[in-house]
Amino acid sequence: MSVIEAANLTKTYRTFQRRSGVWGAVKDLFYREYEPLTAVDAISFAINDGELVGYIGPNGAGKSTSIKMLTGILRPSGGTARVLGYDPYSERKTYTHHIGVVFGQRTQLWWDIAVQESFRLLAKIYRVPEPLFKERLGQLSSILGLERLLATPVRKLSLGERMRCDLAASLLHRPRVLFLDEPTIGLDTLGKDAIRAFLKQVNENFGTTIILTTHDLREIEELCRRIIVIDHGRIIYDGALSALKAMPGIKRSLTVDFSATVSPGELIRLFDGKIPFEQQGERRASCEFDPQAIIPAEVVRTLMNALPVADLTLAEPSIEQVIMKIYRDGAQ
Amino acid sequence: MIYRSVALYAAYFAQFLKARLAYRADFAASLLSNLVGGAAGVLFVFFLMDGKTITNLRGWSREEILLIYGFSTIAMALFSFVSFNLFRFGDRYIVQGNFDRVLLRPLNSLCQVLFETFNIESLGTLAVGLAVVSYAGRRLGIAFTAMDYLWLLLGSLSGALILLAVFIFVASLSFHFEDRLGVSAPVYNLINFSRYPLPIFHPVIQFILQWIIPFAFSAFYPAAYFLKRPELLPYCYAVPAVAVVSLAIAGTAWSFGVRRYCSTGS
Repeated sequence: MSVIEAANLTKTYRTFQRRSGVWGAVKDLFYREYEPLTAVDAISFAINDGELVGYIGPNGAGKSTSIKMLTGILRPSGGTARVLGYDPYSERKTYTHHIGVVFGQRTQLWWDIAVQESFRLLAKIYRVPEPLFKERLGQLSSILGLERLLATPVRKLSLGERMRCDLAASLLHRPRVLFLDEPTIGLDTLGKDAIRAFLKQVNENFGTTIILTTHDLREIEELCRRIIVIDHGRIIYDGALSALKAMPGIKRSLTVDFSATVSPGELIRLFDGKIPFEQQGERRASCEFDPQAIIPAEVVRTLMNALPVADLTLAEPSIEQVIMKIYRDGAQ
Repeated sequence: MIYRSVALYAAYFAQFLKARLAYRADFAASLLSNLVGGAAGVLFVFFLMDGKTITNLRGWSREEILLIYGFSTIAMALFSFVSFNLFRFGDRYIVQGNFDRVLLRPLNSLCQVLFETFNIESLGTLAVGLAVVSYAGRRLGIAFTAMDYLWLLLGSLSGALILLAVFIFVASLSFHFEDRLGVSAPVYNLINFSRYPLPIFHPVIQFILQWIIPFAFSAFYPAAYFLKRPELLPYCYAVPAVAVVSLAIAGTAWSFGVRRYCSTGS
């Protein structure tokens, strides 16, 4: 059953070019040439109950704008969004009872009051009964290690601590859908690991549907089975992460160390010039090749039979490389 | 429903109070400065019209003017209690993007903005206003019957709501002009006209204060109820209605603005 549905969802902003200088600013006051800017261009997708989906794209691709339409902050210029059966924008006040949202860039908590006071206020806002609130707070703070932080005002927390508190805050009312916009931005490895592990738990234990935007592709690799890639406001990939790596044109890289000097000509001849080997010193060479054109095992066997191979590394493409490739292809 | 909202915003207030009282010295100092500031304005009128050089303003006596001034001070105090965020709305909520957070909560957006900060210090100004009204009232021979108390409550509450409505309207302009429009400062200065009898001003100003930015209904007409000037009474009775209409217009402008809200970058 799908809980999030976007159909031709579109957002167009009216922008104008500011003229430079003081006189330009004065002219801007009286006359502006507006140009429509389509930030999100007729995107459609459906996300099922309990899915954990990575929503990625370069800066300015339209990620945040789509998230803001799905969470009811922005009114779509066209198309429709439906989450849990609600129209996020027009039914905002009822709808937001059922979702949790975390923006990595800014906190949902009250700056000057202790974390637990913020939590208590949120429980009132979302009508969580006291016993249930206590139970959930206990649970969340033991998983996220918040006990020590509860009495601290938010402004005194470190970024990592604040993020953990924000996550707990977004889950007190046990939302069915959780939107996370760059939840690990600026965190160190330890902080990222803690949050990643926690999100996995939330998704598995509570069956919470999670949609996650991030620039950290390791995060995506570890958490999401499905990714949606957006660029220039359009969806350029929607599918399994594993299928992405098997896409044509995604290269494998090979590094070989020899026990004796091997000339570059020898290597090129060995594969009839099909693989562009590069010399990396006297006894080392490396190359990239398309595994769909030449079978990797074949390459290794040929090398081993013909040359004095000492060591050999065959690497899968990194997720970064894969994503970079789709961005490039999508841009064309 | 209403009960729940009241309880909720009372909880907002309690949280705010806790945070505010954490800085005790700062709180005490600003409470004192509000009290002194409020009293200074009153003393200015009191000594200016000391009965020797200036005895009246176009036929309005010192006591009458003090009564209007007192009403204005009460309305201002009630208004300042919840209006602080309106003055920094464009900057703090629109430009800095805090309005996103507001829209993510299952509550009315305007109420959240109003009730996220309180100006508790304005209680000092409120005390000054009440003292002035009671002093001027006694000098004017007002009996202060139950009906009079009721009017004091209704009139000053309506006055505060009119001020609130005007600045909600001004704040809602920030939805359309992100580049901080400096409208609220000049409008705020107009409030000063509401502390004196309307008829002493030039007709253009009278027209503006009565029909466009209805500050005349925020203090002058509520006070005029006590002044035994029968020609003003119809306007006095219109005060609560003006408050309701102003709030309705401001609320409409606000929701229209929310529809236009574009959020910021990232």
